[in-house]
Amino acid sequence: MLNIKPIFSSLLRSKSGPVLLLVQIILSVAIVANASFIIHERLEMMQRGSGIAEEEVLTFNVFNFDPSIDIDQQNKIDQQILRGLPNVQAATSTNMLPLSGSGWSSTLNLGPDPETAKSTPQYAMYLGTEHTIKTLGLKLIEGRNFYADEINKSVNDPGKLMIISKALAETVWPDESAIGKLLYIDDEQLEVIGVVEKFQGAWVDSDDLEYSVIHNVDFAGYTYMVRAEVGQHKALQDAITKALMKENPNRVIDDFQSVAEVKKLSYRDHELMITVLSMMVVLLLLITSLGLTGMVMFNIQRRTKQIGTRRALGATKGDILSLFLVENYLICLSGGVLGASLAVVLGQQLMKYYDLPQLNLLYPAMTVVGMMLVTTVAVVLPARRAANISPAMATRSV
Amino acid sequence: MFLYYVDLAWRSIRKTPILSLLMVLAISVGIGITITTLNVYSMMAYNPAGERSEQLNAIQFWSQGPDTWDDFHRLITYQDAMNLRKGKVAPAQAAMFRSGMAVQTDDPEVLPRLQGIRVTDGDFFKMFEVPFVYGNRWDKAVDLDPAYQAVIGEKLNQKLFGGENSVGKTIYLNRKPYQVVGVIGDWNPQPKYYDPTSGAFSRSEQIFLPFSLTANEEFSVWGNSSGWKHEPMNNYQDRLNSEKVWLEFWTFLPTSEDRAAYKSYLANYVEQQKELGRFTDNKSPVDSVLMSDVAGWLERSHVVPEDNKILVGLSALFLSVCLVNILGLMLTKFLKRAPEVGVRRAIGASRGQIFSQYMVEVGVIGLFGGLVGLLWAWGALYALSARFGVSEGLTHLSMSMWLITPTIAVGTALLAGLYPAWVVCRTKPSVYLKSQ
Repeated sequence: MLNIKPIFSSLLRSKSGPVLLLVQIILSVAIVANASFIIHERLEMMQRGSGIAEEEVLTFNVFNFDPSIDIDQQNKIDQQILRGLPNVQAATSTNMLPLSGSGWSSTLNLGPDPETAKSTPQYAMYLGTEHTIKTLGLKLIEGRNFYADEINKSVNDPGKLMIISKALAETVWPDESAIGKLLYIDDEQLEVIGVVEKFQGAWVDSDDLEYSVIHNVDFAGYTYMVRAEVGQHKALQDAITKALMKENPNRVIDDFQSVAEVKKLSYRDHELMITVLSMMVVLLLLITSLGLTGMVMFNIQRRTKQIGTRRALGATKGDILSLFLVENYLICLSGGVLGASLAVVLGQQLMKYYDLPQLNLLYPAMTVVGMMLVTTVAVVLPARRAANISPAMATRSV
Repeated sequence: MFLYYVDLAWRSIRKTPILSLLMVLAISVGIGITITTLNVYSMMAYNPAGERSEQLNAIQFWSQGPDTWDDFHRLITYQDAMNLRKGKVAPAQAAMFRSGMAVQTDDPEVLPRLQGIRVTDGDFFKMFEVPFVYGNRWDKAVDLDPAYQAVIGEKLNQKLFGGENSVGKTIYLNRKPYQVVGVIGDWNPQPKYYDPTSGAFSRSEQIFLPFSLTANEEFSVWGNSSGWKHEPMNNYQDRLNSEKVWLEFWTFLPTSEDRAAYKSYLANYVEQQKELGRFTDNKSPVDSVLMSDVAGWLERSHVVPEDNKILVGLSALFLSVCLVNILGLMLTKFLKRAPEVGVRRAIGASRGQIFSQYMVEVGVIGLFGGLVGLLWAWGALYALSARFGVSEGLTHLSMSMWLITPTIAVGTALLAGLYPAWVVCRTKPSVYLKSQ
């Protein structure tokens, strides 16, 4: 009667190990599956092409602070100076920087009557010149570029033309060419004269990122973009500052950065998220495998006699090894299945509260496979030691 | 007795160094991750207004037409701001926006520099408790009758005037002279709650100008401007007359009666405006007004990104994995020592004593884990700020973490140790004595 309790407790002991392992694997699978899903989603987001020669476009701000400066005139002179600098392939003024997170956006109507007409999706409203396409390295796939004499001074001037991104063209006119089509602000017309293959807007987290329009307006005295080979940028910064300051010293010229740098800054939070989550996944796998190793080692110590007896009765080293592996896989698989369902539940919660897409089932599945690989290593090392237990040693004390 | 247990714990830890190291490592990694995300979160979720949070209220209007925006905009129109300023119902109030100009002084050696500027009313300094080093805010009369006066920050004062008392001196903004009337101390609330729209964690401005100058000087707008309908903007006057929203409006309303009274004043105001043909959407005057205190305002401005909440959640789960992990290791370790416990029990130690002895040991391990975890967190925060240029205000390890970390660490360890300690204290002495 007295022996029942110790036996029971020893049973409990041998059970608690696997149960703990199971819980750990369940939680790990749930976390790793969701984390790797988010990582993958962010990576995909960061790899979208912008349609711009990001590395080669150098941008900077000019702030004219002398009230007596004729901004429009100065703008013309400045752009001529920029284009005349050595190594500059193209240069233009702009009202906003691509992928920068700030800028202008608007919508237009498809008909002249604002009450009845449908409107376009929200698009990034670039103001540019006949040099914009070349400066940014955009690919014109339909229609034509602006002519020099078509460029207006203000957004309110008549003769409004537009070059739009293909994504916008296909959304607004799905089945026909956009060239020659008209859009409206009240009863004022804007004509589409060209379509570029790809041109992203300013807000990388927006659903409307691919919708962009270049209007034929030379936006004076604000931001300029210059195309040059990457190696020339450093020297060009000094050359630009010097040349423009020589023209007129009453201004501040600063914020030199390439579009690639602007982009990097905009995606910084996502990069941060990827880094932290990756760190979490790696550490989690490390901790789980360390815990597993510790527990298997303990199991082996406790079961030395059992293993020795089995060896004495004819079990090969391979048999012992596979005993531990099978044991591990059983726990892993059941933990994996439970963990995957927890991962799905967790994913649904995240989806409900935050702006996350639905968890792809591939991720829990891959996590379980990954977990099995990692734990195999964690088990094989101590299990090989167990297999090496000599039957004589183990059974001597019996 | 406690110290004796601590001594026993230390001996036991030294006896099984690898297992103990594994446990400390497991706790520390879990704590490190949790504290890192928690620290960034708590910094972001911090409310700098403190006990004034409820008294400071940002005003929002549903001024848009029907079928346009489907939420309150955080900014309001110039007309509304001017009307509220004239109404002067709140004990203190300030309209504001962000602008920027090139700064020069009489000293030709000082190169012109581009500076962000806050254009606001004199009450701003009182409402947001801005400390003055020299001088004071501009006179109340200036808020009605514009004067070319400026309040500058200590940092700019250092650069322009070498840090001396510059009250009465002249700075030139876009070539126009402004008289310095006050220098404020190092004041940089994080998050920048009075205007989170232009970067919630950017530094506060170094120049403050009277809002009353806006119409005369046509200050450029460096913040957001949004419109819900097409309005031609040929000049600055068009902007002032338009329905475009680009201003923040803050009020200081000390008591809840004040707030209720102000709300009905606003509703009344909207009703008047409706008669004038504005506020055309089908919404009652009371529902066209929103007053958010600082906490609500930060919430509405989405100062804490969703990513951060996800990270805090995941790291809490991570910590629970570590907890289970330690539980397993602890069980291993304690059961290994069951024979020793058997002897102690036989000599006369009670279950309670054995239990508390092991809990102390677990606590010591938790404490070590917490300390190492704090190091991890410190390193991780440092790496984040170095690698990602995350704002200093966010990666600074908050003082409260020095208290929170050991608490979480020891708490986690004790939680994990409960079961193993319970199992081991139930050891029957007879079993182990017999086999010896």
